[in-house]
Amino acid sequence: MRRHNFRFDPQRLRMTVLDMAYAGSTVHLGCAFSIIEILAVLYRWHLRYPANNPNAVDRDYLVLSKGHGVMAQYACMHELGWLDDAAIKGYFSDGSALTGLSDSRVPGLEVTSGSLGHGFSVGVGLALASKRYNSGQKTYVVVGDGEINEGAIWEGALFAAHNSLKDFMVIVDENGFQAMGRTSDVMSLNSISRKFDAFGFETVTVDGHDQEALNQAIQSLQSSALETPKAVIARTIKGKGVSFMENDNSWHYTRLTKDTYRQALDCLERKSG
Amino acid sequence: MRSTFSKEITRIAQANDSVVLLTGDHGYALFDEFRKHCPNQYINAGIAEQNMIGVAAGLAKAGFRPFVYGLSAFVPIRVLEQIKIDLAHDSLPVVLIGDGAGLVYSHLGTSHQAIEDIAATRALANLQVYSPADRYELTHCLDLSIKSQTTVYLRFGKADRGDVHDRPIDAHLGDLLKVREGAGPLVILATGSMTRTAIDIADQEFSDAEVWSAPCIKPINELTIIAIARRASCIVCLEEHSIHAGFGSVVAELVAQHAPTRVLRIGIEDRFSETCGSYEYLLQEHGLDTFSIRKRIADFVQVSL
Repeated sequence: MRRHNFRFDPQRLRMTVLDMAYAGSTVHLGCAFSIIEILAVLYRWHLRYPANNPNAVDRDYLVLSKGHGVMAQYACMHELGWLDDAAIKGYFSDGSALTGLSDSRVPGLEVTSGSLGHGFSVGVGLALASKRYNSGQKTYVVVGDGEINEGAIWEGALFAAHNSLKDFMVIVDENGFQAMGRTSDVMSLNSISRKFDAFGFETVTVDGHDQEALNQAIQSLQSSALETPKAVIARTIKGKGVSFMENDNSWHYTRLTKDTYRQALDCLERKSG
Repeated sequence: MRSTFSKEITRIAQANDSVVLLTGDHGYALFDEFRKHCPNQYINAGIAEQNMIGVAAGLAKAGFRPFVYGLSAFVPIRVLEQIKIDLAHDSLPVVLIGDGAGLVYSHLGTSHQAIEDIAATRALANLQVYSPADRYELTHCLDLSIKSQTTVYLRFGKADRGDVHDRPIDAHLGDLLKVREGAGPLVILATGSMTRTAIDIADQEFSDAEVWSAPCIKPINELTIIAIARRASCIVCLEEHSIHAGFGSVVAELVAQHAPTRVLRIGIEDRFSETCGSYEYLLQEHGLDTFSIRKRIADFVQVSL
């Protein structure tokens, strides 16, 4: 695999997402932008891929259960050299491999998502396998706050706690929105942290765009002596990084025009400059 | 058949420590033997079937060979989407065991009766569907399933209807098995619990009818079915499943395309059970008792020949 310098700079990752979304005339920008720092921190400091091989049998697992944010993961995979420039520029072109929701046939994507509430349980199964092998592999599952409407998530949470899957960590992207509106209007979640706490997880709530804070939260949970699964509740902003997209749920569905693409790039360039 | 299952699944797990058995809090006493010999390979995943399939997917991705046991009303019906996306999409070698297929839970009503599981699963890409008729076919299907490179759904229905074979089966994946000789114009093809019925009916009234059993519904040896259709004047398909998109439909699709012959599909019509009662009673309600089937076949033969 071609090696990059693995900086996972959030603004550059967002630019890659913008490039893909513009090239493919795709939607789901807002929910990709809210998980940029979460994925950057995981890839930069936590996930182990021996020989930079996405299929290494002893790798850690990153399961993107909220497949709608997959462009954020593609952007990271591009930095790892797992995706080339042509894959980014050719997003959504006829006969291409990268779909609008994650597909497990792409090396680096562990599950096929898009129907929500699946990846959590597959991640639980991967973590159970690691425990049975005593391999020390970590499993990180990223779910959306809207996604945890799904009952299967809570079946998996019971199972993970009952089986003391201490190397299983769920990271909830709490951006406060789901497809049709605010989570508080659609299906109130109240305290996600207390819910996972009650299911037997060790839980930390953190600013999901503060890389240092995220990193410390993950580290502190990893170093816990408890045998319980872990949950990070990452408070995030849907559309984070592009001022006119932030907390505007229409960017779950809106396609970029030449103008909005340019404006969004300007926003990001100002920040990274 | 259930004791065979208990014995065979234990044998398989003892021979291969990557085999794990997951159950959705079902199978009381069925797994006593298994738990005694392979306690570390047994996982009761609780009453949480969606998660159980996802966990099986994760285990299979990491190299385990999961067998997932449930009632066919739940595995596969309740978790069809998990099977499609988490298992079949990746051709994961997970074996799904659906017990109590058909009308077995006659007293418990619609929630526990599975008359649509073949239809639902045969349309899933990468998924194989097995339907053994007796303990020999069950052993054959379990042997096939552990060799399979993709996801398998194995349905087994009423387990105490008696053997249709008298020795272990030596056949390939998809093969139909001749269970009664006959050179007449009528050929009966059956699967699962209805195979015993098919033989009994032929013995009683259609003495020159050949009877075949289909332990595999998908894949199925198409050439055998086409050859039968070329020779027979009329074919009757028998199954304890909806006539819509079940085994009879598999046969009818092949026959229509390759060797048009009259095909009568006997199974459950487009309705749920209306009453409570014994298994035999519900078979009768659905016209799957030997008397009703004999009459339907006789009428069909009369108009076909």
